[in-house]
Amino acid sequence: MAGVDWEAVAFIVLSVLEVVFSILLVTSKRLVRAAFWLACTLITIGGIYLLFRAEFVFLIQILVYAGAVPLLFVFGIMLTRRKIMEEPSMEGPP
Amino acid sequence: MSAPLVPSLFGACYILTGWIVWIINWILRAIGTVIPPLFPPLDALANWLASAPILTVLTWLVMTLVMVVWACLVNLLTMMWVERKFYSRLQDRYGIMISIWSLPLWPFNRRKDVPTHKGWGYLQNVADGMKLLQKENLVPATADSMMFNTAPAWIAGTTLMIFAALPWSSGLYVANLDLGILFILAAFSLAPLGILIAGWSANNKYTLVGGLRSAAMLMAYEIPLVLVVIALVFTTGSLDPKVIVTQQERPLLTLGPLVIPAWNLFGVQAIGFVVFLVAIIAEMERIPFDLPEADAELVEGWTTELSGMRFGLVFGFKWLRMIAGAGLLSILYLGGWSGPVFTTLYLGSVPIPIVPEEIWFMLRVYLLGLFFIWLSWSIPRVRIDQILNIGWKRLIPLSLLAIVAAAAVRVVTG
Repeated sequence: MAGVDWEAVAFIVLSVLEVVFSILLVTSKRLVRAAFWLACTLITIGGIYLLFRAEFVFLIQILVYAGAVPLLFVFGIMLTRRKIMEEPSMEGPP
Repeated sequence: MSAPLVPSLFGACYILTGWIVWIINWILRAIGTVIPPLFPPLDALANWLASAPILTVLTWLVMTLVMVVWACLVNLLTMMWVERKFYSRLQDRYGIMISIWSLPLWPFNRRKDVPTHKGWGYLQNVADGMKLLQKENLVPATADSMMFNTAPAWIAGTTLMIFAALPWSSGLYVANLDLGILFILAAFSLAPLGILIAGWSANNKYTLVGGLRSAAMLMAYEIPLVLVVIALVFTTGSLDPKVIVTQQERPLLTLGPLVIPAWNLFGVQAIGFVVFLVAIIAEMERIPFDLPEADAELVEGWTTELSGMRFGLVFGFKWLRMIAGAGLLSILYLGGWSGPVFTTLYLGSVPIPIVPEEIWFMLRVYLLGLFFIWLSWSIPRVRIDQILNIGWKRLIPLSLLAIVAAAAVRVVTG
């Protein structure tokens, strides 16, 4: 327990999470899921800033990107397609 | 210039955790004595629990738990009760009046002579919470169920994050950050994403309109909120809540026996105060700005499809955001937890509080809460285009004016 470098452990955990979230972001079909994974990716990057003792950059990262992601999402809904999701089909169970 | 009731929350929780661990260890060793082959591993576990690093980690857990209980179980319920009683009185009726003697449990159902519906109604919110817990959690058939289930947790978690950095006095806080105000604003700004996801994932026109309205509105009002904090930094030079409150404790003006403290409200920051007040009411989504959940036109907006305790969480945590907003307002502009000098007794150099700092802080929070409630039950809702006009065309120029004025005063006074 004593010899473990906890900062390295935290860095590895955050990096793995970040890579997983980024893969989910580029592979998800639904727009809002992608926006959600984008927010998760950016917040984990903020966590890595926090590991570098850059609290101010971490907080600005959260303030700016958590504010920007919903905006992106609004533009995505307004500009890309008409239907918000798959409509329930008229024949058979949904 | 007054003293806190809890000088150090960490110290108090350390003692509490010590007691809990002592009781657990006593039970572990008792089990070990009864079943002798189990004694060595249980004794090792007890020693490990009582070691210093583990005790510190457990203390942090107990501390967050104490803060959650204090914020949710004490202040959230009290604020909801205050709102329900106060708006009922504004509408010329009594509001909730069920007393504790109406409980169908042993010590309460004995007294047949006490009226059961002439009480204070304080436990009505607890009863509503129990009712919501027993309801079924419905997910609409066409909803994106993963996002639908994530959104309430996201909103509730980010709202609780605020209380990690919000100090209730110079001793009652979880973590004292140098950038505490910025942390609270960042935690405030995380919720709109959850609201949007909740509105979209239910796959319902009303919730989608509510979610998009909320995104447009919260975006518009977050910018002046942060800009007036920049204006405030010109005066205080710090984002640490404790430093900001300490600066407001000095006297500004002495009128005979009356000493007026140097709150940030008096002076050039008055513009910033007005902007911050309007923007924080919009951030709480209270009635003049409650377009995202306008019940008359959108059937509760983005919360329409939520049911059971998920609805209870997102609905109840609005009051938690109201408490956090009122606390932020009083820390930044109204002197935080500072009270008059005569409320502290000095025994040598040890300050003994007669009226502790927590009381002064909560007095401000609840008076501001009453003001918000009074406002929201007296005036009608603003239209969505008017809301965005107020945000972008009035508040942002005003907050820029506040920055210029604060900078000018800073240059002149040095």
